[in-house]
Amino acid sequence: MNTDARGHARISVVGIGNVLLGDDGFGPLAVEMFRCEYECGSNVEILDLGTPGLDLAPYLYGQDLVVIADAVHAEEKPGTLCIYCEADLLAHRAQLRLTAHHPAVQESLAHLRLAGHAPSELIIIGIVPESCDFGNGFSPSVLGASFIAADHIARLLVERGAGCWRRRTPIEPNFWWLTPEPAGAGRHGFRSRLSIPGKNP
Amino acid sequence: MARVSIDPVTRIEGHLRIDVEVDGGTVQKAWASCTMWRGIETILLGRDPREGWVFAQRFCGVCTTVHAMASVRAVEDALQLDIPANAQYIRNLILIGHALHDHIVHFYHLSSLDWVDITTIPKADPARAASIADGVSTWPGNSRRDLEEVQNKVKGLLGSGQLGIFSHGYWGHPAMRLSPEMNLILFAHYLQAIEFQRKSCQVVAILGGKTPHIQNLAVGGVMNAINLNSLATMNMDRLGTLQSLLQELVPFVQQAYFVDACLLAAGYPEWFRYGRGVASYLAVPDLPVDAKATQFDLPGGVIMDGNLGSVRPIQNWRDEGIREAVAEDLTHAWYVGEGAQQPWKGKTDPDYTDFRENGKYTWVKAPRYNGHPMQVGPLANVLVGYESGHALTRKWTDDALQSVASGHGPKLRPEDLQSTMGRYLARAIRSAMLSDLALQHLQLLTANILKGDDTTYNPPQFPEHQIEGVGLHEAPRGSLSHWVVIDKGAFSNYQAVVPTTWNASPRDQKGVPGPYESSLLANPVADSAKPLEVLRTVHSFDPCMACACHTLDASGREIAQVKVL
Repeated sequence: MNTDARGHARISVVGIGNVLLGDDGFGPLAVEMFRCEYECGSNVEILDLGTPGLDLAPYLYGQDLVVIADAVHAEEKPGTLCIYCEADLLAHRAQLRLTAHHPAVQESLAHLRLAGHAPSELIIIGIVPESCDFGNGFSPSVLGASFIAADHIARLLVERGAGCWRRRTPIEPNFWWLTPEPAGAGRHGFRSRLSIPGKNP
Repeated sequence: MARVSIDPVTRIEGHLRIDVEVDGGTVQKAWASCTMWRGIETILLGRDPREGWVFAQRFCGVCTTVHAMASVRAVEDALQLDIPANAQYIRNLILIGHALHDHIVHFYHLSSLDWVDITTIPKADPARAASIADGVSTWPGNSRRDLEEVQNKVKGLLGSGQLGIFSHGYWGHPAMRLSPEMNLILFAHYLQAIEFQRKSCQVVAILGGKTPHIQNLAVGGVMNAINLNSLATMNMDRLGTLQSLLQELVPFVQQAYFVDACLLAAGYPEWFRYGRGVASYLAVPDLPVDAKATQFDLPGGVIMDGNLGSVRPIQNWRDEGIREAVAEDLTHAWYVGEGAQQPWKGKTDPDYTDFRENGKYTWVKAPRYNGHPMQVGPLANVLVGYESGHALTRKWTDDALQSVASGHGPKLRPEDLQSTMGRYLARAIRSAMLSDLALQHLQLLTANILKGDDTTYNPPQFPEHQIEGVGLHEAPRGSLSHWVVIDKGAFSNYQAVVPTTWNASPRDQKGVPGPYESSLLANPVADSAKPLEVLRTVHSFDPCMACACHTLDASGREIAQVKVL
């Protein structure tokens, strides 16, 4: 078991996705919601990794638990949360459509496993996106699901004995990429379809 | 004659499609097409130039820092704003950390399996492999025990019948020619590379505050606080951590990666005859060693038409030549218009027509330098450096050429690097150079801080009138430039001319093909249904379509579809 100096398990909560592509940014959204709603011990790292490709490997390296939030392709209604474990990831390989960033997750894990540095446990919290159009902000269903995702991440951590508490006062989330459309933006100007609330609806 | 279409070509971020016509076992014609729309710059319009880099570093999921850097440099160029020496060194160290990481991952994880047949590894004799490796390298990871352990892992993988991500290699292809022992050595380092991928990320994280999206940049410098007496800032402790990380990273680059690239080159001598393509090269100067960026540790220059003896040097980032010479041709790209546009006046209005080999067929524009296609990347970097007499480039290039020859490979001259294998070797040469420079720039930073200079930032002032700037960076895949127009303190135009745009460029108005396209001509193809040789040449450029944009369904198409039409 890899543990930190105080003997705690090493845990990463990772958001994957491109924040500039609408619901594709669910991963970063969900981990930001989690960070704002919950407080964790120093053994828990919360990371927005964007779309790292094979560069995901360094962040999974030797961890005890990795929770990945990401957009997934599944035959479900947009906004549906889907939870997968590593075995699902491997079994779904043949269908080739699990997460938009699947190749990277799959390859990084395979590399780490062969090299002997794979995380002990991996859980994917996926969302079925409504629209991944350039610069469109989040769909209502995906935004709503992000609160549930944050709670689910907390439950996963607590179930595994990791220190994780709901904050008395949630922090204001930092969705820097959803800043208002600047004056003079072209027709692909960046806008969000919704204003992001600062706390649970 | 067979028409072969490979879509996508890149293993991870796949939006590159290559079409070739094969006749008599060689490629006669080739087309490179990017299948995703690039228009991400439009989100920057109207934004505050001080925050542009935060958005620009999301252009690509892999090369985040390079776009951040080009963006701040573009704004600083427009303002004619110098940054403090500390800021130059900190930026340089981040760029080196990123580049080493990128080159290592390209060599081992993204392309070595085009050359290394892992299914032969069970037949290898680990003791013999260890003695081959020990004969050429001091790398400690080459012991017989290490290699046996890797061999057992591969046996387990092959025995399970579940090859997973390794199930799509062209195993047993007649063009796979390395001995089982060589395959074992290279694959052992493939696995060890993961550790060093991580260490180079740590270098970037210590300086950049966070990876993969660094947070320390600012127009005017960096936001790293320097105070040798404070625990919370850049202090001797952190400089020491950087030093020890680099001291672990450098031997892997010089004794594993560099040596492996030489061994690979010696094992595939015929690949110095294929893949030359466009023989005009562009490299921009990088790694400035002074605040005003007058001296650089990586020289820049232009070579035209394979005329290696005459390099037009690019002395610094204010070089007028490059500002006047660069234009992007839209004739064969899915954008409204024809002919060439200077980037400051560039427009990006989509006009999709489907793949038309004589019409528009890609989302990539065709950048041209005084009307000529140019090859960019480590090869351009190394040729420009070598021919302008740059000592560090000469040292590592001569060392590489000698190592290839003494490994029973061909006797090479620098001009032979203009080939598929030459691009692999040039990338390893550049990595060895960068690993030396990493330690040097850490020393420059430390010495400057000890001298009492703790400045890292010069605040920008934006004028009311319109200004233009270009930010240059010699990125891992080649020369990157961000072109900005700022009006009343906001971006009114933003164009990124990225390395893969130069190399994956389509034909232009005159019908002249781009570097990928022309490098494929006369490339051998033993079996049209398994065009491994085409992949080797395209992968030698380290294609990355991710800055073109990220997709939502890369997953379904990770495995290349090869259609023989």
